[in-house]
Amino acid sequence: MKTHYQICSHCVMDTTDPDITFDEQGVCNHCRHVENVIRKSWFPNPEGKRRLDQIVARIIEDGKSGEYDCVIGLSGGVDSSYLAYMLRTEYPQLRILAIHIDGGWNSELAVHNIEHIVKRLSIDLHTEVINWEEMKDLQLAYLKSQLANQDVPQDHAFFATLYKVAVDHFGIRYFLSGGNYATESILPAAWGYNAMDAKQLLAIHKRFGTIRLKTYETVGFFKRKIYYPYIKKFKMIRPLNFWPYDKEEAKRIIVEKLDWRDYGDKHHESIFTKFFQSYWLPEKFGYDKRRAHLSSMIVAGQMTRQEALNVLEKPPYNAGEIESEKEFIAKKLSISVEELNAIMLQPNKTFRDYPSDYALEQRFSRLKQYISKWRQR
Amino acid sequence: MLRTRVIPVLLLHNKGLVKTVRFKDPKYVGDPINAIRIFNEKEVDELIFLDIDASKEHREPDYALIESFASECFMPVCYGGGITNVEQIRKVFSLGIEKVALNSSALRDKDLIREASQLFGAQSIIVAVDVKRNLWGRYQIYRHADKGVQKGDLLAYLREVEALGAGEVFLNSVDMDGMQKGYDMTLLQTVRDVISVPVIVCGGAGQLSDFKAAKELGGASAVAAGSFFVFQGKHRAVLITYPKYEELEKLFGEQP
Repeated sequence: MKTHYQICSHCVMDTTDPDITFDEQGVCNHCRHVENVIRKSWFPNPEGKRRLDQIVARIIEDGKSGEYDCVIGLSGGVDSSYLAYMLRTEYPQLRILAIHIDGGWNSELAVHNIEHIVKRLSIDLHTEVINWEEMKDLQLAYLKSQLANQDVPQDHAFFATLYKVAVDHFGIRYFLSGGNYATESILPAAWGYNAMDAKQLLAIHKRFGTIRLKTYETVGFFKRKIYYPYIKKFKMIRPLNFWPYDKEEAKRIIVEKLDWRDYGDKHHESIFTKFFQSYWLPEKFGYDKRRAHLSSMIVAGQMTRQEALNVLEKPPYNAGEIESEKEFIAKKLSISVEELNAIMLQPNKTFRDYPSDYALEQRFSRLKQYISKWRQR
Repeated sequence: MLRTRVIPVLLLHNKGLVKTVRFKDPKYVGDPINAIRIFNEKEVDELIFLDIDASKEHREPDYALIESFASECFMPVCYGGGITNVEQIRKVFSLGIEKVALNSSALRDKDLIREASQLFGAQSIIVAVDVKRNLWGRYQIYRHADKGVQKGDLLAYLREVEALGAGEVFLNSVDMDGMQKGYDMTLLQTVRDVISVPVIVCGGAGQLSDFKAAKELGGASAVAAGSFFVFQGKHRAVLITYPKYEELEKLFGEQP
């Protein structure tokens, strides 16, 4: 346990990340990791464009026999919206299928944005609507589990659907993700455990859930780590890491070209994600995701440290709105606000308190490292 | 508000919302509460909720469910499904619903229409009728609860319900349901010629021009649709949509 408070001298990460370390200049491990590791695969420059051209050419070549070359996710947020726009304008020959997951929390802004993107860019859309009675049961189970990462039910469903629809149904080989270093290079591991761990998800549902998950899709370790990547050769690519992606500039473009509407903070396109990131995490765990996001923007040169500190002066949620938001969350989950408040007051847990594939995942990644070293010899 | 109302019809099935094609293959489109929240923000004129299980299962309306969504709606709401007597109508109204639609029970119990209309006012009583063509193209009244065909002439029935005090007729085409190829204009015009109460047309809307045609050529006083407001593109991706107010004004030539 850290006993004193410290904040990085370069970004705004601080000791609210329990695993943070600082060097003698007071620079945190996250900044160092970006400089020493991430920079090697991040090309926000003409070199990136050259590489991306090659990647896209390969994607088109590999996609010849199918209806689509690649799949993208659409949440209505900035990253995925801009990615759709960038791919359409830079690579008009790329045949794109967009997938959207409706976990029951879409805001009007999210559906407005998605509608305008697919219509104006002529992109085919597939939506998967998760059965709400099951989703509700799973989300309540997660809240009761007292884990930090409450977006697992939504995120896991996205990937399970991505595999099912893109690979199994359409035979698509490439997922082009809006994920990017420019806004997400820094995210402490302690702030949220891997949403892909089906073993943990099912264990939590078994313990706290009340109905059977009949239609909710999960993707287990073998399928996710071996079947899809090696047998089906399904790859994820992050084109925005090969692009001078600037969030404010991207917003300006999509507002102008796609009638895109801003919804405020990152990932607030889902009403639940907004609640979870701006209230559950900071109130219960002391984690303010804006801190990681702002730090990422600082190291990407899109913001000054002082600007970030100014943003953090403001509380993560709007005190005037939070009560009505909680009322809506509780109503959607069929519990009372008192019950929701009672859940908030229970002691926090970590992923280690429940069964998981963590150890298996660690062994698997060591095995992969070993094989790649052996191959290089 | 527009003179021609444009109304999303939401079908309730197992507590969720679904959309059918020709009254079959219900596809899950989500949770009512979130759909309402989005329709609220899109400033929808009116919503129609139809519980497609209630009459089939011979049960009353699910009041708890109705209450949970009625309290969320900013717009007037019509509810239909499982209503068999005026006490139930009273209860539904007490939960914040403005209108009820009578379908199966109207076919069985003509007095219910008269009684309800007298008690609550004609403007709050809608008679819904599902129409299906037979092999020879003749329009017949379809009973969704037992998948049967009602004996008797459609037009005679509609004249009768009008005389009994129905404030509006919700005219739904089974053959066009979910097809998004346009309303059955012949059906609409035929009905329009024999009754004078307002007709809400439903079944088949696929584009904005279908609404315009229903109003101008078909004489519909309101246009309703399901798929149009919940599906997008060739994969029928679920995505709630509603035209902008100005778009509808322009469409119907209702410039202020």
